[in-house]
Amino acid sequence: MICAERIQTFVLQRITFILLGIVGIPVWNVLQKADAADTEAASALTPLNTLSPLLNDLYAVLSISFLAILFGIACAFYLQEWLPETNWIRRLVENVIAILSGVPSIFYGILATGIFFYSAGILKAIGVFPVPQNIEDGSALELISFQNDTPVFYIAVLVFILMVMPITIQTTQAALGSVATPIREAAYALGASHWQVLRRQVIPLAFTRILAGGCRAMSGALATAALIIGIYIWRYTTDPGAFSNRFVLFLSGALFLSIFSSTLIKLYASASDRFN
Amino acid sequence: MNLQTMPMNYSIEAENLNLWYGDFQALIDVNVNIPHGQITSLIGPSGCGKSTLLRCFNRVNERYGNVTTEGKIEVLGKNIYDADVSLHELRKAVGMVFQRPNPLPISVYENILFGLRIHSPVRSITRTDADQIVEEALKSVFLWTDLKDKLKARATSLQLEQQQKLCIARLLPLKPKIILMDEPCSALDAKGTRAVEELMEVLAGTYTFIIVTHNMAQARRVSKECIFMFLGELIEHRETQVLFTDPQHEKTSDYVHMRYG
Repeated sequence: MICAERIQTFVLQRITFILLGIVGIPVWNVLQKADAADTEAASALTPLNTLSPLLNDLYAVLSISFLAILFGIACAFYLQEWLPETNWIRRLVENVIAILSGVPSIFYGILATGIFFYSAGILKAIGVFPVPQNIEDGSALELISFQNDTPVFYIAVLVFILMVMPITIQTTQAALGSVATPIREAAYALGASHWQVLRRQVIPLAFTRILAGGCRAMSGALATAALIIGIYIWRYTTDPGAFSNRFVLFLSGALFLSIFSSTLIKLYASASDRFN
Repeated sequence: MNLQTMPMNYSIEAENLNLWYGDFQALIDVNVNIPHGQITSLIGPSGCGKSTLLRCFNRVNERYGNVTTEGKIEVLGKNIYDADVSLHELRKAVGMVFQRPNPLPISVYENILFGLRIHSPVRSITRTDADQIVEEALKSVFLWTDLKDKLKARATSLQLEQQQKLCIARLLPLKPKIILMDEPCSALDAKGTRAVEELMEVLAGTYTFIIVTHNMAQARRVSKECIFMFLGELIEHRETQVLFTDPQHEKTSDYVHMRYG
């Protein structure tokens, strides 16, 4: 019985590594071949500034998601562990989150694109951000990446947070709730404080699920970003080079994270359930 | 009787204890004195408040929220509802064993040290001390010969009987004075029940045991004194043999003779 389980785990692990490898190849290709079509520095093609626009995107997306996920986890801990179930704030937030996380992620992408295109005029009038002059026909977008001084950056940040947080909060709450009450009771009855129970029992047991939830949320966000970029390539640009690189990068990132998160659940979280 | 020496003979003294869960009154004017160093059993039909009373003694029921308590409980001469009482110290002195064995999902070794680790500064327990503590705790619950080669095994992988004994062993390094047991044998078979009962009898001199049980034969076998509760009230508290053979109260008599549904 145990032997069969070990073999299964082993095989699953190998399959996952192979899948991750397959995902990794296009990413590597993109990073290798990335021509700096979307920067002005295209003339000086050193390896560093060939990579920099893509890494800049990735860096922005990862750091935003990381912050959003951390904040989401903190929210979930507060809701689940500190507020009683009858608290009206908790009920309100949980209901809103249930609605938000039920919305298919493409709507967030379209929302973001919509806000960007339709508010461009207002943004230009206010003069807060340096909005490209010829934004209406879309050609200016070729120059825009996730530079942190463009409106794209701020809108992307907001929408990423809006997409990542509800799913993170939901999965983290479920993970904390999945730690069986007898375990908590046992620790409390031995005199442990709330924080000791969390740190020594609840967090170690729920950690895999929390991590998997964060990865899943980020995977959804990346996939939607890739989709929007895909639509953009198809609709607006005449020179798809730089954008298709980004498309591949985001899409493979999404695939990587989703495989990673389901592997975590399959291999480790279900194993800890047996002892829960 | 000399009243001056009274507090020394009792581990727990509850006076006019009333408890509400929201609007529902679960304990009504309970007055009880539990003698030191012996086994006292709590019997009564389901929902009569015996588990609630037990959980008052280490204030573990407060976690559920919506609980109001009135009255006084003195554990080892100290009112546990005083503002200066530390729940840490109270629960260290009053250990608890639950209905379903609930070892923590870590190794046997770490289970026994868990209580000690949360009550002492980080890294203050040396390896040799720890080994000795684990050995002593397991020896006193007669698990050492079975488990000495399995100390690193997950506690949740043991047999139920061993798990329940481990839950008792886990309390011992904290040197509690009182051990509360909430139907400790209801998840065990006859052999397991017998083993846990024998263990209680051996440990009874050192610790005060309070056991909630639905099994009247068990109450009769293990306990010296017996408390019968009904709908939140304490009906009768007498020596076990007397309570079973010559109950004063009609409800007690109905219950112990199984005329009560």
